[in-house]
Amino acid sequence: MTDQAASPSSALVEIRDLVLEASTPRGTAHILRGVSLDIGRGRILGVVGESGSGKSSLASCLLKLLPSNMTRLSGSIAFDGTDLLPLPEARMREWRGRRIAMIFQDPMTALNPLFTVATHLVDVLRRRHPGLQADVAMQRARAALVSVGIADADLRLRAYPHELSGGMRQRVMIAMALLVEPDLLLADEPTTALDATVEAQIVDLLDQLRRRFSGSIMFISHHLGLVAQLCDDICVMYGGTVVESGPVADVLAAPRHPYTRALLACEIDAQDQGGRLVSIPGEVQDPVAPHVGCVFAPRCSHVRDACRTGIPPLRDSAGLRKVACIRAEEIA
Amino acid sequence: MTPAQPVSVPSGIGAARAGLVSAPLVSMRGISVVFGGAVRALDDVSLDIADKEIVGLVGESGSGKTTLCRVLVGLTQASTGTVEVGGAAVAAQLARDPLAFRRKVQMLLQDAVASLSPRMTVGRSLREPIAIHNLPQQESLARLDTILRRLGLPPDVLAKFPHQISGGQARRVGVARALVMQPQLIVADEPTAGLDVSVQGELLNLLLDLQQEFGLTYLLVSHNLNVIRRVTQRTAVMYLGQIVEEAPTRQLFDRPAHPYSAALLSTNPVIDPQHRRTRIVLQGEIPSVVNPPSGCRFHTRCPVAQPRCSSEPPPLVAIAMKRAVRCHFPYSLDLQR
Repeated sequence: MTDQAASPSSALVEIRDLVLEASTPRGTAHILRGVSLDIGRGRILGVVGESGSGKSSLASCLLKLLPSNMTRLSGSIAFDGTDLLPLPEARMREWRGRRIAMIFQDPMTALNPLFTVATHLVDVLRRRHPGLQADVAMQRARAALVSVGIADADLRLRAYPHELSGGMRQRVMIAMALLVEPDLLLADEPTTALDATVEAQIVDLLDQLRRRFSGSIMFISHHLGLVAQLCDDICVMYGGTVVESGPVADVLAAPRHPYTRALLACEIDAQDQGGRLVSIPGEVQDPVAPHVGCVFAPRCSHVRDACRTGIPPLRDSAGLRKVACIRAEEIA
Repeated sequence: MTPAQPVSVPSGIGAARAGLVSAPLVSMRGISVVFGGAVRALDDVSLDIADKEIVGLVGESGSGKTTLCRVLVGLTQASTGTVEVGGAAVAAQLARDPLAFRRKVQMLLQDAVASLSPRMTVGRSLREPIAIHNLPQQESLARLDTILRRLGLPPDVLAKFPHQISGGQARRVGVARALVMQPQLIVADEPTAGLDVSVQGELLNLLLDLQQEFGLTYLLVSHNLNVIRRVTQRTAVMYLGQIVEEAPTRQLFDRPAHPYSAALLSTNPVIDPQHRRTRIVLQGEIPSVVNPPSGCRFHTRCPVAQPRCSSEPPPLVAIAMKRAVRCHFPYSLDLQR
């Protein structure tokens, strides 16, 4: 890892008050409404939330790959002590795929159909280590495939993406990300497109890799069970805000924010037998709606007048936990 | 596709069954579907569904779930075997009065938004089947009105286009469109796919309520094992074009008999660490149906395979009341806590 000593702080990434707005035909969309979040060194952070909660946009901000209709990006993202927001595009380009790498949901569209697996892997290696000899690069590419559990590595190096199965493509993506040796790996729903038994293989692989990989991982998922099994920390997002964060076991065992509680109640688990299934009434906050109160207030069963008029800050709760609810202690 | 074959004779067994009280609503016997002479998408599948029963179908891509649904609703013709719905062969019903059959059996498609025409308002999409089926206008529109209110769809939805409504609303529009036809059987392909958990419960409650109110029968396909466990009464597990296990849902989840079922159920991520099971991670990926493994089709990935498994294909045998498994050594792979 480079420049590790440069930052005195313990977190690799410190996001503060991140606001992302974009113009749409219906008005200004508030995609991120002041997100504050830390990603610890060597930790796996699970980011959960429903569609439209802003979890994928958060990943885009970390890569600074933003929509062209963006009208406002403010706050700060301190990455190892350097704020990414004012960083010029040329610098950012150097960091992408080097210090920050990403695994996408759909490996088929993320891999170039015209290049073989070997080309993908060697390109990434040469970008990381310019001037690396071709045969050395190929050896390391081969080793990377073996390390992500691909049999017949020599055969697979010559294969094109369409010749691989979905699970194998995702393994190639993971191998590419690992060759980069990034400080931060962003994984956006990396197993959603896979079948259950193949998903289990990839989760198993990620679980093994964390022992060999020294960087941090941001694991974006809508699947609470998966996050519970794989992650150290969790961050729950709703309507472009972080409503709750902290160590995953603590948060899921005793959620403090009404939204986290409601979301957990919706999960069908092995204990639940019969009766009505739980859902959260109402609709997700319209991104165009102005931000005047708590974004969850319209659907919250514990709502008070104060929730509608003031934005609840994400404040420290017990230990390393944070919660954005004025009534968190009262209702816990 | 292979040319049409006489699939069943609508007399004899079928007629006798129709007279019995316990006759199943759906009876599929020895169904095989072969595409292009080589791809055996379904291989000797038999499945009964009783009237007002909710049956779940699980399996991974390529296991034949969708083909089975398509055969049941008459969109794909079985190469061999018979399908009966309501005691009469589907092929015969389709030949005699295709519209009547399609009213009886409705399908909810996986992508609810894509199943609505982007160029038609929701209202027009909902009224179209009434015209196609030549149903009495006034009565049907009144029924549609009642259904929409029952499903909690706001009236202004009718004037909107599919891209203007939410995923949950699109699902309910699909359900409304199916219910207008007053079906007996609804085949639901991944009804909760793409829905957020916060609205998933609402849709499932609705499907369960409607089943009671209208006496519906469901075949529910899902890869969400929690949904299957919670909603269905009986579950069939498919692997490479075959049903490998069929059991009352509770029993299946408590103690799966087939090693594949055990592995599949063990992959279901659980939030509470106290109830977490040891994941059984299978090696390799699903083989191709073009060239399925010899013997038991699962033996190449089975953690407890024996020499016999690679040579001798296991038949689907009953192991208990309403339970059948296609394995030489059932219960040999146990779920560990």
